[in-house]
Amino acid sequence: MGEQVLFTVAAIGTLGFGVGVVFFKDAFRAAVSLIGTLLSVALLFVALLAPFAAAIQVIVYAGAIVVMFLFVIAYLGDRGALPGPDRLDRWQVVGWLGLIGLGLFGAVAILDSTAGPAQPAPSTTDVGSPTSIGDAFLSSHLLAFEATSLVLLVAAVGAVILAKGAVQGEGGR
Amino acid sequence: MATALAWIVLVVPLISGVVLAGWPKEPPHAVTRVLGVGSILVAFILSAVVFAGLVGNAADDRSFVSSAFEWISIGGVKVDLAILVDPLSVMMMLIITGVGFLIHLYSVEYMEHDPDYRRFFACMNLFVFAMLLLVLAANFFFLIVGWAFVGLASYLLIGFWYQRPAAVAAAKKAFVINVIGDVGLVLGAFLILRTLGTLDYGEAFARAPEVGAQSGTALAICLLLFVGAAAKSAQVPLHTWLPDAMEGPTPVSALIHAATMVTAGVYLIVRCHAFFDISWLAGDIVAFVGAITLLLAATVALQQVDIKRVLAWSTVSQVGYMVMAVGLGAYASGMFMLMAHAFYKAALFLAAGIIIHALGDEQSLDRMGGLRKPLRVAFFGMAAGCLAIAGIPGFAGFFAKDDVLSSALTYGGFGVFCWVVGVVGAFLTALYMFRLLFRAFFGPEPAGGYNPRPHPSRWWMAVPVVILGILSIVGGWLQVPFGWRELDTWLAPVLGTGAEIVEPTHGAEVITIIVSVVAALGGIALAWWLFGADPDRRLRLARVAAGPRRVMDDAWEFDRAYDDLFVEPGRDVADVMATKVEPAGPQGLITGTVAVMRGAARVVSASQSGMVRAYAFWMVLGISLAGIIIALVVAGAS
Amino acid sequence: MSVPIGAYLALSVALLVLGLIGVMRRRNPLMLLLSVELMLNAGNVALIGFSRQWDDPSGQVFALVVMVVAAAEVVIGLGLTVSVFRSRTNLDVDELSSMRG
Repeated sequence: MGEQVLFTVAAIGTLGFGVGVVFFKDAFRAAVSLIGTLLSVALLFVALLAPFAAAIQVIVYAGAIVVMFLFVIAYLGDRGALPGPDRLDRWQVVGWLGLIGLGLFGAVAILDSTAGPAQPAPSTTDVGSPTSIGDAFLSSHLLAFEATSLVLLVAAVGAVILAKGAVQGEGGR
Repeated sequence: MATALAWIVLVVPLISGVVLAGWPKEPPHAVTRVLGVGSILVAFILSAVVFAGLVGNAADDRSFVSSAFEWISIGGVKVDLAILVDPLSVMMMLIITGVGFLIHLYSVEYMEHDPDYRRFFACMNLFVFAMLLLVLAANFFFLIVGWAFVGLASYLLIGFWYQRPAAVAAAKKAFVINVIGDVGLVLGAFLILRTLGTLDYGEAFARAPEVGAQSGTALAICLLLFVGAAAKSAQVPLHTWLPDAMEGPTPVSALIHAATMVTAGVYLIVRCHAFFDISWLAGDIVAFVGAITLLLAATVALQQVDIKRVLAWSTVSQVGYMVMAVGLGAYASGMFMLMAHAFYKAALFLAAGIIIHALGDEQSLDRMGGLRKPLRVAFFGMAAGCLAIAGIPGFAGFFAKDDVLSSALTYGGFGVFCWVVGVVGAFLTALYMFRLLFRAFFGPEPAGGYNPRPHPSRWWMAVPVVILGILSIVGGWLQVPFGWRELDTWLAPVLGTGAEIVEPTHGAEVITIIVSVVAALGGIALAWWLFGADPDRRLRLARVAAGPRRVMDDAWEFDRAYDDLFVEPGRDVADVMATKVEPAGPQGLITGTVAVMRGAARVVSASQSGMVRAYAFWMVLGISLAGIIIALVVAGAS
Repeated sequence: MSVPIGAYLALSVALLVLGLIGVMRRRNPLMLLLSVELMLNAGNVALIGFSRQWDDPSGQVFALVVMVVAAAEVVIGLGLTVSVFRSRTNLDVDELSSMRG
């Protein structure tokens, strides 16, 4: 019963804030709306008995990533799109076709999942705990773990280089 | 020992040629002389040592094969880089390096003022190397290599003055016709390989009877080899390149197109006599072609005004004698004639070269006359050569031609026909050669005199002419009727003593000597009456038999016939191809392909709009299609 | 009575489509990045849903990896956006079409 309540609240929050992210004209509002979505998703994680993931979701996403978004939005300021009509109108149909197809695929997948064999009973084992996740990371998913660290390293170096170029560019101007 | 020296003989001209060709810039003339002429002298001396070594051996111990290494070994066929030193190849070595050395020496002065001095000697050395490879090869593979190299050297030297369109055209013509011969030779070698499974001389000749006497295969092998021989030796109908080859410098004409290369065909037939021995039909065809050639070329030589062309047609005619002889099986006589011809034809060419040099590149008999006094050396060389080639008793040509003709008479049957043709040819030979001699050296000087005065040559050119003149006189005493037959004895180990070998009987020799001497003297007398005694008589007789003479002057219209038969149709076909077929077919295909590619590229490049969101659209579509496919696959699997 | 996995998946699909609409409709590069975050979260929801259903921590591990990748992507994406658009008056991805074929 508790899960259903939690799910309902979180689903409404996720989709409502998500619509806000997509349709707010102002980037700042969209970013703030994204915080709402992320927190709602964290609630979903709690409903799914994944507290560790929920905590990381809040800390990394809502705490770090969105803050960076806000910094950049503030830095670049309020600039408009290119004047004139959207030059991509004639391609929109392709995208919409794709969306419809994707929706159909999703529907089929969902129906398939509910029509499938009976779900195993939710176990009482603590799969969402930091212990089990850490265990999984350092045993069966060690390669993924290492690869992730490499991605982060590359991203860090890339960010430094981009920032260095920016400083030089400004200094040279 | 003999083979080691023969290797050196083979390699020395190659090395000097490569060094000359690779010299960074035009080397000093002294260097070119030392390398270019010295290398051939060394080769000649070593050849002579090899010869002396062979003479010292017993008659059946004069044949050596030396293999440097295995070149190819495929499917049981083994080809070695090997040379064969035997009486035949040593004889050819001596002629090539001996006459070659004299002509190189002559060239030192003749080519003195040519800016491409070095290139000339490099090419000449290459030629000597190629010719030595041709005669020393111990299998058909390297025979073909040498054969083709000789053709290349000939091409380079005919076209030596590449600024002259005529020289370039003549070089191309020679090369094309020689390649026809190469194809014949290569096919002949293939047929031997297919039939006997070997390209090695020793094995192939020893097993030649396995082909089957008088069989079609034997005939085919012989005729294919003869195609090669005919092209190199300028036999009808592949003779047309040789007169044009006179566009090359005179020493080249003397060495390549008179003394050595054109006799390669004769050498080939003698070398492959094992095959000709087992097919009398092939031999008769060869003899017939030789007879036709000697007669036809002699008539053409009568009408030529260019001094070198007279000699060129005379060469064709003389090689015809040799081919006729070897076709009839008189191999030793053919080789004897080959040697004698090398001497007197080289003498004639070099003497003609002195005239041409002295008159400032003048080659027309119409603007010569009375040269006896200013050019004594040339007169000596020319007179000795003429007496020899005409067959005056005592001179080299007499013995050689007599040998050939009496062999033909001994052969009987078809040989009698050849004998008659040969006698007529002897008469014509005397006529056209003494026509040349009388018109160039006797009579009055041409109208207006010479400007500048002809200058006698220095010793570079004089010495070779004198030596070759003397050789033309004494060189025939190797084989004397009723006396001794040194050359037959010398070549016997190579030629064997089979029943197919023809050696003249005494009766045939008596008849031949009488008839041919009468014919030669008759020819000389007619020449004197026409051209010598009264120089104006020839002008008064200019209208006599003008039609036939014009045909002879045009060399029996062979060139025109080839133009009509091959060149013009080929050009027409090429025209049709170029104007009709090519634009529609290949070109259309290409432009069509280009148009298709360009259209496709336009479509593809339109999709590369540079719009990030457009890519996103396509990506979404792609993902959804992939998803649908996955769904279908899953549905199908379950 | 727990919530069926289908409901989580439906939510995930809806969030993904929402993100896609954002990517397709918005021209502001920052909005593009925000929409991408939405889609990544949609993926995470599905992953953790499956993890719950199969009682296996692997799904959560994948979700964490996705978060790390998202962080890296944001760092680079924002860095690029800043360096590209610093000197431009308009904030529009359609400006970046110099690689047009």
